[in-house]
Amino acid sequence: MKSKRYDGAGRGDFLLWIVGAFLLYLLWESGFFTAAAWSDFNRRFYQNFIKDNRYMMLVDGLKSTIFMTSGATIIGVLVGLILSVIRVAYKGGIHIPILNKLAETYITVLRGTPAMVQLLIWNFTIFASARDLNTQYIAILAFGLNSGAYVAEIFRGGIESIDAGQMEAARSLGLTYGSSMRYVILPQALRNVVPMLFNEFIALLKETSIAGYIGIDDLTRAGQNIQALTLEHSQPLVMVAIIYLIMVMVLSKLVKKLEQWLSRGRRG
Amino acid sequence: MLKKIFALLFVLALSAGVCSADEAKLKSPSQLKTEKLAAQRGTVGQFIAEDLLGDKKGQLLTTYEKYVDAIAALKQGKLRAVIMDEMPAKRFVNEVEGLAIMDEALSEENYAIGFRKGNTELVSQVNKALSEMKADGTMDKIFAKYLDGDYSSVKPEDIDFNKGAKGGKLFVGTEAGFAPYELRVGSGFIGIDVEMCANIAKKLDRELVIENMNFDALPMAVSTNKVDMICAGITVTDERKENMDFSDNYVIGAKQVAVVRADDYEK
Repeated sequence: MKSKRYDGAGRGDFLLWIVGAFLLYLLWESGFFTAAAWSDFNRRFYQNFIKDNRYMMLVDGLKSTIFMTSGATIIGVLVGLILSVIRVAYKGGIHIPILNKLAETYITVLRGTPAMVQLLIWNFTIFASARDLNTQYIAILAFGLNSGAYVAEIFRGGIESIDAGQMEAARSLGLTYGSSMRYVILPQALRNVVPMLFNEFIALLKETSIAGYIGIDDLTRAGQNIQALTLEHSQPLVMVAIIYLIMVMVLSKLVKKLEQWLSRGRRG
Repeated sequence: MLKKIFALLFVLALSAGVCSADEAKLKSPSQLKTEKLAAQRGTVGQFIAEDLLGDKKGQLLTTYEKYVDAIAALKQGKLRAVIMDEMPAKRFVNEVEGLAIMDEALSEENYAIGFRKGNTELVSQVNKALSEMKADGTMDKIFAKYLDGDYSSVKPEDIDFNKGAKGGKLFVGTEAGFAPYELRVGSGFIGIDVEMCANIAKKLDRELVIENMNFDALPMAVSTNKVDMICAGITVTDERKENMDFSDNYVIGAKQVAVVRADDYEK
C-alpha cells in the first residue's frame, strides 16, 4: 500500500527537457538566431498568420475540429455502450444470437477497415445524394460510428472487470438481469472506463485531421489552406502541430486529474 | 555498443557523401526521363511525368496531395522537377526563392468543366452560358483581373454567389490550392474558375455552392452526384472523357512546365 502513486511525471519532464534542448541546438545550428533569419521568420509569420486576419482560418478550423470530435465522441459512447451491453448480456445469460452476431460483425468491420476509407465511403457512396447536408455531420457520423466500435471494447473491458460476485449478489436480491446491469454493474464499470473514454476523445481529436479529404476545413486543412495562400511550407504546419499538441497536453492533464478524483476513497 | 554506433555513423556519413555528389545541371525537359519527378495526384502533370519516365515511374515518380508539398520536396533536394501548369508555376517562382521554370514546355492543354457522364442537359446549359460570356467579354474581364499575378486586392465577398436564387443550388467541386484559378481566402474563395462559375450560376438562375476537396477526389464527387460539376483547371484528356462529360474549353493552350531549382538549371 503506497501512500503516493507514481505517475511517471518526473521522468517524462526530464525527457521533454532533453528533446527541447536538442531542438534549440538544431535551431542554433541552422543559424536561426541571427538577426537576418529572425526578421525573415517574423516576415513569414506576419504573412502566414497576421495579414488579412489569416489566423482566423486556423480558429475556424479549430472550431470545426472540436465540433466534429465532440459530436463523434457522443455518438461513439452511445453506440459503444449499446454494443458492449449486447455482447456482455450474451455471455451473461440473455441469448439473442442475432443481436450478438450483428454487434460482433459491426465491431469486426469497423475496426478492421481504416477510418479514412470509411469516411470516403460514407461521404461518396452512402450519402452521395445528400448534398444539402453539412459535410461535417457526415464526418461526425463516420468518426462516431468508427469510434463506437473501439469504445464498445473499452466498455466490455470495464464491465468484465467488475467482480462476478456483484452480479450474483444483485440477482440473488431479486433484481432482473437488466436492472442489475443498470443499477449495479454499469455505474461501477463507468467509473473504470471514464479515463479511457477521454483518451478515446484525444485519439479522435487527432483522427479528425483526415476530414479535409472530403472537403471539411478542419484545423489541419486550415493549415494547408494557408500554405496554398502563402506558398510557405513549414510555418503553418508547425503551428497546426503546436495547436494540436497544446490541446492534447491540456486534455491529458485533465484525464490524470479525473483519474485521481475517481479513485479517491479507494486508496488503501 | 560503441562499435555499433561508430558503424552507424560511418554508414550515415557515407550515404550523405553519395547523396551530395554533384550531378550535371538540367538543360532541357528531355533529361527528366531518368530523374526523380513529382506532380499533384490525379493531375495531368502526373500523366505527363508517367509518360516521360515510362517503366521507371514506380521508382522515380512521387505524387503529392498539394503543390506546396511537392515544391517543398523539390527545394529540399528530394526531387529534380515538379510537373505542373504554367500559371500556378509562375506564382511559385515569384513567391518562393530559388526556383525556375524550364523554358521548353512539356505540353499544351485545354481546360474545361467536368460533368457526370450523361448529364447532357446541364452541359448544354453551361455551354450556352460560356459562349455568351465569351461573346460579351465577361471571360476576358475575369482573366485580365488575375493575369498580372497580383490578386491581393480581390476579395471573396465581392464575388456574387447569387444567394437565394430560385433555380436551386449549383454545387461545384474544386481544389482551392491552385491560384489563379481557385484559392481559399479566409472563409471564401477567389479565382478565375470561381468567378466564372459565379457568372454561370447567375445565368442559370442558381445559387453557387463551392465544395472544396482534394483534386483526386473530384472525379468521384461528380460521378456520384455529390456535386453538379467540377471546375478546377481540369485538363480535357481522352481517358477522362470516357468517365465524364466536358463542357466547351474555356482555357486553350495552358502550358505544362517543369519547375526546377534555379541552381540546378542551365538555360
